[in-house]
Amino acid sequence: MTMAENKFLKEAIKQGLRMQHRFLAEPVLARTGKGYMKSEGVATLQRIKASLKKSRST
Amino acid sequence: MAGLVKNWLQIVPWEAVVSINGALCEARKALHKPTSDGYAPAKELWERNRSRKLSLPEVFQIGFQCHRLAPFCNYNGNTFVTIVRTLLNDVLKGLPADKAHILRSIAGHIVAGTATDIERKQLDSILAALEK
Repeated sequence: MTMAENKFLKEAIKQGLRMQHRFLAEPVLARTGKGYMKSEGVATLQRIKASLKKSRST
Repeated sequence: MAGLVKNWLQIVPWEAVVSINGALCEARKALHKPTSDGYAPAKELWERNRSRKLSLPEVFQIGFQCHRLAPFCNYNGNTFVTIVRTLLNDVLKGLPADKAHILRSIAGHIVAGTATDIERKQLDSILAALEK
């Protein structure tokens, strides 16, 4: 693998582990035909928006 | 924005896809093994598109298809969602934080197969704004 490919790989694994709690280890045999990804909720977006609002007002 | 259509998957050889799934499975002590029916078609689909110039919706669609083909025994969803979200990192740098969060989230939902019609419409408007 090239350096760029390796860098991507490391970044992707980091990101994947960070969000792994939102997925199920779904064995293929138990596939229901519908994806599963637990909602992250709106807290993160609210935090981002609040911080943008704050930085705009200052 | 220039660069929305490009060789998005060039930087992700299939062996990297396998390594990502391996790392995710190892972290949760889940079985990391190729499936007998999904591995070959998913690999073929991925490799066929690696050299192609693709739009972002096409990238999301390929991620979704590979997820559905289930090349691995576990964590197919996380593997392809993670790849697509990481691919988006450079594009997201040029967006306001809230729009970046929404785009990243919608991309993940499309690949996971959980996106709603509202999210798809939102995606269209974000991409249209990016292309201006």
